[in-house]
Amino acid sequence: MTAPTESDIDIWDDDILVDPYPTYAALREQAGVVHLPKNDLYVLTRYDIIRDVLGDPSTFSSTTLGFNPMVNEALQGTSLASDPPVHTQLRATLSENLTPRALRGLKVTIDEKADKLVAELVASGSFEAIDSLARAFPLEIVADLIGFSGHVKDNMLRWGQAAMQVIGPLNHRTQESFPIAGELYGWCSSVTGNDLTPGSIGRGIFDAETRGDIPEGSAGHIIHQYLGAGVDTTIASIGNIVALFGRHPEQLQLVRENPELVPAAFAEVLRYWTPLHIWGRTATRDAEIDGVTVPAGAQLGILLGAGNRDGRHYENPDVFDVTRNPVDHLSFGYGPHGCAGQGLARLEGHAIVSALARQVQSITISDEVRVPSNMTRSIDQLQVAKVVAA
Amino acid sequence: MRIELDRPRCEGHGLCEEAAPKLMHLDDDGELIIDVPEVDGADLDAAKAAVRVCPVAALRLAAA
Repeated sequence: MTAPTESDIDIWDDDILVDPYPTYAALREQAGVVHLPKNDLYVLTRYDIIRDVLGDPSTFSSTTLGFNPMVNEALQGTSLASDPPVHTQLRATLSENLTPRALRGLKVTIDEKADKLVAELVASGSFEAIDSLARAFPLEIVADLIGFSGHVKDNMLRWGQAAMQVIGPLNHRTQESFPIAGELYGWCSSVTGNDLTPGSIGRGIFDAETRGDIPEGSAGHIIHQYLGAGVDTTIASIGNIVALFGRHPEQLQLVRENPELVPAAFAEVLRYWTPLHIWGRTATRDAEIDGVTVPAGAQLGILLGAGNRDGRHYENPDVFDVTRNPVDHLSFGYGPHGCAGQGLARLEGHAIVSALARQVQSITISDEVRVPSNMTRSIDQLQVAKVVAA
Repeated sequence: MRIELDRPRCEGHGLCEEAAPKLMHLDDDGELIIDVPEVDGADLDAAKAAVRVCPVAALRLAAA
């Protein structure tokens, strides 16, 4: 048995979280799996290895997908933290309202909202893109989907950020976020169907619980996962769309000239700047990965963004190219635990890319402001100094 | 080879249809229909591409 090589970095170091790509490249060149003693973690760095591990839930369990014991305890019994066969039913319940076929009726509404929001911003001439677009749009879509308003809507951003943050190790970010994540959990435990807008998907989930179609008590858990998983990540990807079009005007031009590139452009945004920094698994037995042995019980850290820039899989991986169409990117994970909300994320992302491509000729952006975050790599502020309407 | 679908796992993301439009399609209800289950030659390459892009690993190729 050969042990994996080691690196003495801290994968949650502030500088790495803000700009992880040089570190990803170094780790990826070192090996497909690297032991990080400082984090008590084995990180996966290469595309094929990551896909194989995500596709093998019996060897690589999701029961400790988080990086501290408190969050793993809190997630027990959810689809996220369970393995087949228990996972299969929980996942079906969670994703039933999120599949593309369930969401087909929403496409027109989502496209219209994106068009309207982008039109207002274009008319204003300059704007801050994160608050006014990257956050505003998914918060409105998710609020409508689940069917709430008022104080809940006002709290969604901080709740959604905290819910991701607490999946990290027990650092100061996680500890500061636990009470806020607790507010979200508390609300989800007490909300009832009557609190949600009639006709909303959230209301429908409670109706399904009343009918006995899904287990008692599961409706609140499902709402919790929609809010916890669907906010921070989508915000990151929409902010990235604006920043990458600002940095690469010729790529925006390509989409403007070829509207059929909208899905490919969004896939490339997700590949190029991966919203999720790291995701966890545990080895259920001594497992060979890339010719070395990871011991039973070892915590794995899957570096999705490192896999997405692996030159063994993608040609010129550090080039942002909207014609690449990387449909097999790793940003939604892969396999039985592949992102349950990816259908909704695509609807939102495609709507924004399409609205920008139709309404915007060019944008001038200032440098993006980033704040370190345990799980999600997103832009905190992005000033669009000038937007030229199409 | 034969294309096999794990129907409970399929969520209708439709990436397979884009990869292999001659072999499979989503029907009006968004359910995946495998039009050509037995594949060889050029169809086999398309089938492999479809299996590969399924984000939830609901498709696989098995010996016919």
